Amino acid sequence: MSDLTPIANSSPSSSATVRVKTPRRLFSTIEGVFNEEVFFLILSVFIGIFSGLAVVCFRLAIDWTHLGLLGPLPQTHSWRLFAVPSLAGLFVAILVLHVFPGIRGSGVNQTKSALYIFNGYIPFRTAIGKFICSGIAIGSGQSLGPEDPSLQIGASIASALGRQLEISREKLRLMAPVGAAAGLAAAFNAPISAVLFVIEEVIGRWSAGILGSVVLSAVSSVVIVRSFLGSEPLFRIPVTSFKGPSELLAYAVLGIVGGLASVAFAQSVGYLRPRLKALPRWTQYFQPALAGLLVGLIGYLGFPQVMGAGYGSMDEAMHGQYAWKVLAILAVLKILATTLSFVSGTPGGMFAPTLFVGAMLGGAVGDIERILFPHLTGSTGTYALVGMGVLFAGFLRVPMTSVFMVLEVSGNYEIVVPVIVANTFSYLVSRSLQTVPIFDMLTRQDGLILPSLEEDREEAILRVEDAMLPVPATILSAQDYVDANFRRVQDSADSVFLVRLHPSGWNNATREQLQRLYQEGKGELTLASVLPGQSLPSLYPDLPLDSALRYVNDYALIPVVNRADSRRLEGIVTRDSVFKKYGSTSVVEVSGSI
Amino acid sequence: MLRKIPKLISRSAPMIILVLTLAAVAGFAAVSHLVNRYNLNQQARGRKLYAQGITEIQAGRYDNAIAAFRAALSCDPTNSQYQLSLARALRDSNDPRRLDEAESYLLALWQRTPQDAAINLALARVAARRGTVEDATRYYHNAMYGVWPSEPDANRNRARVELIKFLLEKNARAQADSELIALAAALPEDPNSHLQAAQLFEQANDYSGALHQFREILRVDPVNSAALAGAGETAYRSGDYVLAQEYLRRAVTANPADANSRQLLASTDLVLRTNPFHSHISDVERNRRITAAFAQAEDRLDHCAQQADVDLKASDTPPSSPLVKLQALWLRTQPDLKLLRSPAETDLPDAIMDVVFQIEQQTNSICGPPQGLDLALLLISQKREAVTQ
Repeated sequence: MSDLTPIANSSPSSSATVRVKTPRRLFSTIEGVFNEEVFFLILSVFIGIFSGLAVVCFRLAIDWTHLGLLGPLPQTHSWRLFAVPSLAGLFVAILVLHVFPGIRGSGVNQTKSALYIFNGYIPFRTAIGKFICSGIAIGSGQSLGPEDPSLQIGASIASALGRQLEISREKLRLMAPVGAAAGLAAAFNAPISAVLFVIEEVIGRWSAGILGSVVLSAVSSVVIVRSFLGSEPLFRIPVTSFKGPSELLAYAVLGIVGGLASVAFAQSVGYLRPRLKALPRWTQYFQPALAGLLVGLIGYLGFPQVMGAGYGSMDEAMHGQYAWKVLAILAVLKILATTLSFVSGTPGGMFAPTLFVGAMLGGAVGDIERILFPHLTGSTGTYALVGMGVLFAGFLRVPMTSVFMVLEVSGNYEIVVPVIVANTFSYLVSRSLQTVPIFDMLTRQDGLILPSLEEDREEAILRVEDAMLPVPATILSAQDYVDANFRRVQDSADSVFLVRLHPSGWNNATREQLQRLYQEGKGELTLASVLPGQSLPSLYPDLPLDSALRYVNDYALIPVVNRADSRRLEGIVTRDSVFKKYGSTSVVEVSGSI
Repeated sequence: MLRKIPKLISRSAPMIILVLTLAAVAGFAAVSHLVNRYNLNQQARGRKLYAQGITEIQAGRYDNAIAAFRAALSCDPTNSQYQLSLARALRDSNDPRRLDEAESYLLALWQRTPQDAAINLALARVAARRGTVEDATRYYHNAMYGVWPSEPDANRNRARVELIKFLLEKNARAQADSELIALAAALPEDPNSHLQAAQLFEQANDYSGALHQFREILRVDPVNSAALAGAGETAYRSGDYVLAQEYLRRAVTANPADANSRQLLASTDLVLRTNPFHSHISDVERNRRITAAFAQAEDRLDHCAQQADVDLKASDTPPSSPLVKLQALWLRTQPDLKLLRSPAETDLPDAIMDVVFQIEQQTNSICGPPQGLDLALLLISQKREAVTQ
């Protein structure tokens, strides 16, 4: 079953007729007190508050489940370590298959699908199901994190609220990312990272229109969470330092290793997930249980750190509690455990496991580098912290978020350069070895194609200047008489001419038009007095070429003017020049793909 | 799933905002109640785990204690006492890798209450474990001048004593001396405090300072056997054998079971009986002592040669051997003994005794510490050397 299918199933009808009723002119009665934009901003604050409250409860639920099922002091070689996640996995599978279809996986893709396919519709039962099932799964020790479910819970609450208030379809569509930012910010206690992640991964493009709402909801949810759970970070940040540029090489190596690990992680998920989903339906009852058993066995055999979100172990790794061999083993085992938990369809997130793998890998690489090159001064904690960002950049492929996440979590700007260097290497290695980012890969495995900021970045944008023709030799003046202008065009081979209006603006005049006016005896009138008064729209060279499309059928010559001086003509575009540019680009793209 | 809100209210924006505000307040109150219950539950669990950690610490099981403190802290993450205990357990677990984490906890606590003496003391101990004199001194000073919830003077003295021990261990003598002076000035009228201070002065080789502290105790308690023994030993180490004899005799009288004082007293008596440089003896007695010392030096040389398996009479023994050289020196000097009675030979006693001292000192380094008369001669040589210097 597809992770995304239940959303479609839950939807009462097709995407075009999902549960969005015709707006009943809610805002027409408000008459200027609250326009829809202002109301939407206010609503964003409430979304943040409700999401924050939900995430606080979610975190308590995970803690209670963990304490109840595994006890406060889990010991290795205790039968609970493998029995609890197995039985909990079975229970969760039954709930997912029979009560809460549509809550498999992390929730990031589902939120993105809601934005782009389902008009912002996420069933409220998704929030309830995600809360219960992820709480049980993570609390019982499955190797998954609470951040992505929090994101989806927030999005689901926002969507439900939007539907209740019957806001316009356009705004309803935006409710999901606003809620997602609130949920993620609350889970991570990091509003900037949450906003950036939602823009990079959920919305998939930079949109100033929604930024205000996303920021408001993220900040208000963090305020709520901090008021209940305190402002303590998820892990204590060690004393970090960056002494000299020569150490950047060490961080670059960490970036390369992290990039390779990210690819291995993503490939293992991408390989196993469709194969397990293709197995008969009855096996899906046992897949989470089997994953729980295997993860529990890893814990039973001496590595209970890989169970659950693992923030405590990250904390220990950052404070040099493990030797490099243990750190390396934990990184490998966490990749294995998370892959098993995730591909089995157990609801839960990938954020915390990614940070875990990054911290362990960073610590291990840092320790090895310091053994080989004792002059390096970075502590294990510094490398572990940078390693978190490295995996974030390489595995989740969110380069901006990865940098800000480390800075926001650590509150230390001294390591910004190592973080940027390491993340860049990780991102480049990951991108060169695996073209499709993990979330896009998961979406495509579910048969959906959603916009991607990474693909947008790579897409070559055609601009007006690409289709621009040189300034024509003959430019008429609207201040001159018709007969003078007519005489000027007689020697020209062109049939349409650009006319400069006074004091500014442009118009078109054809040879036939001028000839007709001349023959009608209007030769002694100025051209301005006989031409239609409306000026042509002007274009600027840096505008996307798409903006020229709306004019090319109405005007033969469209002036392209300088932004600093609208009277200065840079060139012109015509229907032919625009279409020719699009045509040549298509030919190049087609031949390139062949 | 979520049913529509009944349209009992007007759907104007202000009304919606009012309803949402009321819902948020209600949600806030509900979650507050839930979080309070959760926190109370967690705090109770944390206390239980903390008690478990304390028990483990007392049993010396640091790993178990650390796990318990960690769990307690996960229940009550802002509890300073748990953080401090975990940091102490991490620091005292003899695992250098854990010092970083201990320091991290302590620094977090320190940032909140930089004046807290207990936190500063814990940080000082971490720095001491690392061997960083500057940091340790800074934190120890912070602890001394910080806020102690109870017994501030005693705690400050304890912190200073710890600092002095650390500085002595690190051979930071100048800093240790200044701390000792400060310690001596602030000591309470308590024999144990003076005794501890005296021992520190002794460790710093400041025998007059140590003797002063012992005398402070004896001023209040003249028969304090520990002070008498300490004063005697201090005088003995400083080479004041007359004073040492006095204190050691009183120490043995006060505590007949004190074997160390008895042994030191025996050595002291021997030194005083055999020292040829004693000012209140006749020339005859001086010559007798020199002759006896010279003969004892030969015995010492023979015994040492046997111990080192060196045959001083064999022809194949290398002449460069130190013991052979000493024997040659002894043999060259032996005829001079006859000239001791000559009033013209004023430098001869010193010259003969120099040979004795050379033999005693070199055999001490080759064959180990001597006993009896040889020990007395060695002590005399050391005192003589100190006086000459």
